Amino acid sequence: MNDKKIIELKNVSKVFRLPHERQTTFKERLFSFYKKNFCEELWALNSINLSINKGEFISFIGPNGSGKTTLLRLISKVYLPSDGKVIVNGATAPFLELGIGFQPELSARDNIYLYGATLGLARKGINERFEDILHFSGLARYIDQKIKNFSSGMEARLAFSIAAHADADILLVDEVLAVGDIEFQEKCFDLFKKFKEQGKTIIFVSHDLDIVREFSDRVGLIKNGVLEGIDRPREIISKYVKITSAC
Amino acid sequence: MPIKKELNLTKEFIRTDFKLRYHGSYLGFFWAFLKPLLMFAVLLVVFSKFMRFEYENYPLYLLLGIIMWSFFSEATLLSMNSILQKGGLIKKIYFPRIIIVISSSIVAFITLFFNLLVFAFFYVFLKQTFNWTILLSLFFIVELYIIVFGFALMLSALYTKFRDLLHIWEVLLQIGFWATPIIYPLQIVPEKYRFFMFLNPFARIIHNTRLVLINHQLPSIKDSFFPLLIGVAVLLLGYFIFSKRVSFFPEEV
Repeated sequence: MNDKKIIELKNVSKVFRLPHERQTTFKERLFSFYKKNFCEELWALNSINLSINKGEFISFIGPNGSGKTTLLRLISKVYLPSDGKVIVNGATAPFLELGIGFQPELSARDNIYLYGATLGLARKGINERFEDILHFSGLARYIDQKIKNFSSGMEARLAFSIAAHADADILLVDEVLAVGDIEFQEKCFDLFKKFKEQGKTIIFVSHDLDIVREFSDRVGLIKNGVLEGIDRPREIISKYVKITSAC
Repeated sequence: MPIKKELNLTKEFIRTDFKLRYHGSYLGFFWAFLKPLLMFAVLLVVFSKFMRFEYENYPLYLLLGIIMWSFFSEATLLSMNSILQKGGLIKKIYFPRIIIVISSSIVAFITLFFNLLVFAFFYVFLKQTFNWTILLSLFFIVELYIIVFGFALMLSALYTKFRDLLHIWEVLLQIGFWATPIIYPLQIVPEKYRFFMFLNPFARIIHNTRLVLINHQLPSIKDSFFPLLIGVAVLLLGYFIFSKRVSFFPEEV
């Protein structure tokens, strides 16, 4: 049983201490020295218990700012939990948000190598996959253009194509397909199916409930940093719809 | 090999840094030579022609000092900048963050290497003698790297939170430049101040390197190892601060 669990979160919380007024320069500090530096504690996630099996397609839904992205960042080890334990048994390929972390002044080609390297791919490995990545993204024409000239959709396509071709066991996908056109979305869904067959784990965050319903094995609902429930898509989605329409 | 991915990422970061620094400029990498050389030319004219510093091998002294100091200032400034520049990646993907500082310091080191080649050219042209003491300079350059890397770790770790640090550091670098015998020879420093001057590890490293390269003299064991001691202490402190602060980077950059 245990070896099937690929991700486990035990009582995980994440607290951000956010100063009410950002004071990062000396002058600001100097002039507000007498004021008490007021920090607000934001519980982005509160005692999350969760275990995800290998090969599962799990989606997380919830209102904006509810903690979905924070959860993905904890799983990808970008954030350390303030409390609790995150156990991940496999390599993750995070594909979080827009503005993927490309260097705008470099060409798409250079960015593929850079982004690939952060995902653990050597030049040789990227060269082997280069055609696939390019073909999947459909951006072959623009390969030697600087990223700063790309549209947000093109950027997302490129980043997703790289992440999808890294040898990761876990793919984290965060609300990015929204900017892709229909043709690209179709491509992504085909890829999700392929990944499912290969037994890869996909963690998906989206506001598109139709897609969530169609692909997910289980769905988690997060609200105000609390995991309100994790179950089959039908139950959770109707719960979510009920909560939303109630307010 | 478990470290293979990290090495690969280091290489990729170095490549990126070089591309970002010299992209779209006509002279590109030549700026790496031009900057210290122009500085050297100006200072040489001012100090040897106008102020009439008449010391043996003064041009070589001056060039070597400038090259070594600019490695220090470049490596630290580059590391501070690149932590912010890679903020997008830091926020999204986990990788050992120290790789950013390692690659920035290597980029600066590569520049140092090419500048030393320029120095070697002048050296052959102006002096044309060889002595085995020259090889010892490698040891001092390693010492310099250790201490510079320690500073780079410390500064880049603090910079994500305290953005004033860049300006403070620029001022401190200016002060350090004049507090180290780079432009003026050690001889003009009054005897009673030399002790304090030598508490500055850079003064010692630069002085030692000049001794073995230009004067073909051996510095004492104590003088040779003192900067290493300071370097290791700075490195440990830098590493300590860096590892304390590293988990906050994704929130701060």
